[in-house]
Amino acid sequence: MAYEALITDAFLAVAAAFMLLAIGMLYRAVKGPTTQDRVLAVNVIGTNTVVVLAVLAAGLGETSLLDVALVYALLNFLMAVAISKFTVDRGGVL
Amino acid sequence: MMGTIRAGAIIACLVLGLLFTLVSTVGVLRLPDIYSRAHTASQADTLGAGFAITGVVLSLGVQAPTIKAVLLLVFIFVTNPTAAHAITRSADEEGIEAWTVDDDRSDVDLAADAETGGENA
Amino acid sequence: MSSKRILVPVSETSTLRETVGYAVKEALDGARSDDPGLVRFVWICSPQTDTVTDEQKEAGEEILSRASLWATEDAGDHEAELTVETAILGESEYIFSPSDVAALLEEEVAASDIDRIVLDPEYDPGIGAPLLRPLEVELAQRTNVTVDEAPVERATRRVPLLRQTSAAGVGVLFGTAFVFYQILNGAFTLFDLVTGTMSATIVAVTLARVSLNRRPDSGMPVRIVRGIIYIPYLLYEIIAANLVVSAVILNPRLPIDPRMTRVRADVVGPLPTTTLANSITLTPGTLTVRVRGQHLVVHTLIPWARDGLFDGSLERAVRFVFYGRGSMAIPSPKERGDTEVLQPPTEEDGAASTDPQTQEDTTGGAE
Repeated sequence: MAYEALITDAFLAVAAAFMLLAIGMLYRAVKGPTTQDRVLAVNVIGTNTVVVLAVLAAGLGETSLLDVALVYALLNFLMAVAISKFTVDRGGVL
Repeated sequence: MMGTIRAGAIIACLVLGLLFTLVSTVGVLRLPDIYSRAHTASQADTLGAGFAITGVVLSLGVQAPTIKAVLLLVFIFVTNPTAAHAITRSADEEGIEAWTVDDDRSDVDLAADAETGGENA
Repeated sequence: MSSKRILVPVSETSTLRETVGYAVKEALDGARSDDPGLVRFVWICSPQTDTVTDEQKEAGEEILSRASLWATEDAGDHEAELTVETAILGESEYIFSPSDVAALLEEEVAASDIDRIVLDPEYDPGIGAPLLRPLEVELAQRTNVTVDEAPVERATRRVPLLRQTSAAGVGVLFGTAFVFYQILNGAFTLFDLVTGTMSATIVAVTLARVSLNRRPDSGMPVRIVRGIIYIPYLLYEIIAANLVVSAVILNPRLPIDPRMTRVRADVVGPLPTTTLANSITLTPGTLTVRVRGQHLVVHTLIPWARDGLFDGSLERAVRFVFYGRGSMAIPSPKERGDTEVLQPPTEEDGAASTDPQTQEDTTGGAE
């Protein structure tokens, strides 16, 4: 029983830590200097968000958050590819 | 309910996940140019996310939602490198040069050089 | 301008007959028996799988012989005024994009003194991408010959995304969609099974011709099993390399030595190349920036990762997955001489070995 509470706390703490790391990444998203740097930073923030969602799903016992995480992961990937594609004049990335 | 070994494994996974994500964040903030940053962003971050989600899978145990977590894991492992590839390729298409140790330009200079190079072409 | 030397790339299309007729008519226009017109039919091999099979080559030869037969038929009484040639191109290369096709045709133009290219409006050498428009643009940039489409009465069916499919293709897609539906659902109630069957059927029937690149064959289960064997190996490589790179990044002095490199990988085909490129990117210290056919442009962060890349252990593993155990025993890219550092150290580092020309190459792709 004691372990369950410990694990729940661990999950919530890890979620908070991941949020902090994502905030750190915002520096790169704001600073750049190139568009690609920003896309990269936002992509990493997105991956962190997916992890936070999954960790919260386990920590809070809300497994429906996993569906949200799946959709978020899909959109995150799409965002990176779409912006990469349209920063190049000719297109043709991927 | 929950064995000591399993609890230990979950904690270990979460700590490792956090560690590698920290490395990835430090890398993206410290490294000199877009190409090097893409390294940690795609790899250390993928492994960090992988460990954290493995922790989630372990804690969920054998039940239907676990398959979704595994799916998420596979998905991150396939898409993260692809996204990094797309981003660096678009940087390459724009003509941003990769920084080397004997290059004394900063990342801002490299970006500016790519822009003027594009105008001349 | 007399354009009597005509190059016609051929493939199996419904408009090939009319294209041949048009090319012959144009070649004969103004030709005399002492100065005959030339029609050269070329067929381009594009290995969708590992290598060009004899079967594919036979199909190409068949199309070529049919085309030259039609050409002689169309020439009729003017047969003496027309030379018909055929050739198979690209056997030793991996054709990946419209520009690869254009490069092959460019060589042909130079070799056979061609002054005009006639394209079949439905021409498709099987590279799996919309081709005609980009090919015309590429050819116009590369050569100064006239390029035009044969004016044919074409059937209205013209959707390049669609490919041939089979019952097996629909079956595989149905199975995948159904399993995916049940995974997302979680609960295996009768309602889920019925709705799952319905949606999987709709997906399989409507999308089988779009989503499957090639027909499922008997080798697929074997490749899947070998792919599963590959995963633990890849995970081990990722974790080991991640520890090394983490140590470098957390080191206060940040001892990195990033350089662009180019490797010619000995894997062929869209799926094996993608697997290799993604594996290289997943392994820390190496990042695939560009893929041009078999050539991978890889950014390497530290010398350790560069040596690992040039030793080609991942390449060998990918060859194992797709071609079996026997094909693993190949020399490493370093031994084959298929590696190149695009940004070699300058004189000041005391290790200038490559000519400075290669330094330019990194920006070459961006012009």
